[in-house]
Amino acid sequence: MIDQQIFESLQTKIDEETIVRDELHDIVQTLARKGRSTQAILSRAHSTPTDQINSVLNDATVAIIAQKQEVTRLKAVADQHPFYKYNGVWSRELQNLVASIELCAWLGGLQEHKGPESKSFMTIEDVGKFLEVPVNLKGQDAFHLTIEEYLLALISMVEELSRLAVNSVTLGDYERPVKIGNFTKELFAGFQLLNLKNDILRKRSDGIKYSVKKVEDVVYDLSLRNLINRDGVAE
Amino acid sequence: MASESAGPTISIFENFRNELDEHHDRHEQHLYTPARSRHQQTPPPKIAQENQSRLDQIHALFTSIVPDVTGINSWRYQRQISGGIQEFIEAISFEHYLRTQTLISLPETQARLPIEILVTEEDYLMGLFDLTGEMMRFAVMALSSGNATQTREPPQGTEAMDATQKLPHLSSSQAGIVIDLRFLRAALEALSVPRRANMFRDLAKKVEVMQNSVEKVERAAYGILVRGSERPSGWMPDLSAPVEMEIH
Repeated sequence: MIDQQIFESLQTKIDEETIVRDELHDIVQTLARKGRSTQAILSRAHSTPTDQINSVLNDATVAIIAQKQEVTRLKAVADQHPFYKYNGVWSRELQNLVASIELCAWLGGLQEHKGPESKSFMTIEDVGKFLEVPVNLKGQDAFHLTIEEYLLALISMVEELSRLAVNSVTLGDYERPVKIGNFTKELFAGFQLLNLKNDILRKRSDGIKYSVKKVEDVVYDLSLRNLINRDGVAE
Repeated sequence: MASESAGPTISIFENFRNELDEHHDRHEQHLYTPARSRHQQTPPPKIAQENQSRLDQIHALFTSIVPDVTGINSWRYQRQISGGIQEFIEAISFEHYLRTQTLISLPETQARLPIEILVTEEDYLMGLFDLTGEMMRFAVMALSSGNATQTREPPQGTEAMDATQKLPHLSSSQAGIVIDLRFLRAALEALSVPRRANMFRDLAKKVEVMQNSVEKVERAAYGILVRGSERPSGWMPDLSAPVEMEIH
């Protein structure tokens, strides 16, 4: 004897979940679309001389703030549900946004949002404060930026910077590759401290060493030809 | 530049390391244990006692992971413990069916586990799919065991049996499991699961296996009825068609 009622309530639950998922998905779609225009703006940095970078940074900041509004909308909906139940819906796009924020900040944008102790990049706390979302929540089940998402965003940023190192040389800026080199090595050293398991973070962070090597090759080429001196300053 | 900023960066990452280690410890050391202790089901009543002691062990294992899956972490590790919970649901739903000939409900399965352990609709549904496999095995055994067919006794005082009464038929308990399986199949097939749902991934395979199981039982019932009178003792239904019992 099988109770039909069991399957009716199961279907109801599945339908309710679908509504939530669709709602979140719609917001994430918008976030992704705005994210693509942010990335398009930031990629102009590869062809913009360093002394004119500010116009790129200003445009990027406007685009990033537009994305931030979507994060606020996302947070309002996501806060009503268990965080890890739906985290997968937005995790990727949130990482992309954080990567854009970090890249923009490293290039000199978003200065007012960097904490006093922050160096060239924004700490997870800085990013949380800027986006007005909590970070690394443990006790409370609410929307937040996780450590994993933040670290994955840093990895994307490093990959972008290694490309920028090559393009800086083309633009005649010989100092930036050295700065990028120092920065990526610093982050690489940081990632080496982590005890990573066989997960996405390990796979992605294995890629950092290739980014580091790519930048080192550029710096090597420059120093071999005496285009920079030993302190990394262009001659 | 590198040397002066190495300090803060390193300490930031040391902090991340500690956080991640905490996460990995939870992830690995505890959460797989229930999945490993798969509960081998056998029908009651003889073995009911043994079943109960196994179920108690499983309950204890689930209790041991409770501290790691409370609050925000209840969904975080859902994927890791889901397999174990599905197995558990498969076991208790089968046991429940054998005892009561009814389907266990989601709240009833939740009641058999520590309250902190999350039983999702997905776990429950996937457990039911696996249940059809268990029911199939049980039904095939029941059908092929000695008293599969009987000829209805003519009611006292009536004249000779008419033609329909002479036909072999399944005993009511045997017919019941075939009917229930068919109903279960219809109900499971009727569910509409959107593409975006988490469970969608495993669903197609599960449906296929379930359909195979049901058909196998139907074929077995058919075999018993048609060839029942000819079968030598020890005859087993024709199960030559390959059917996968479970997927893991």
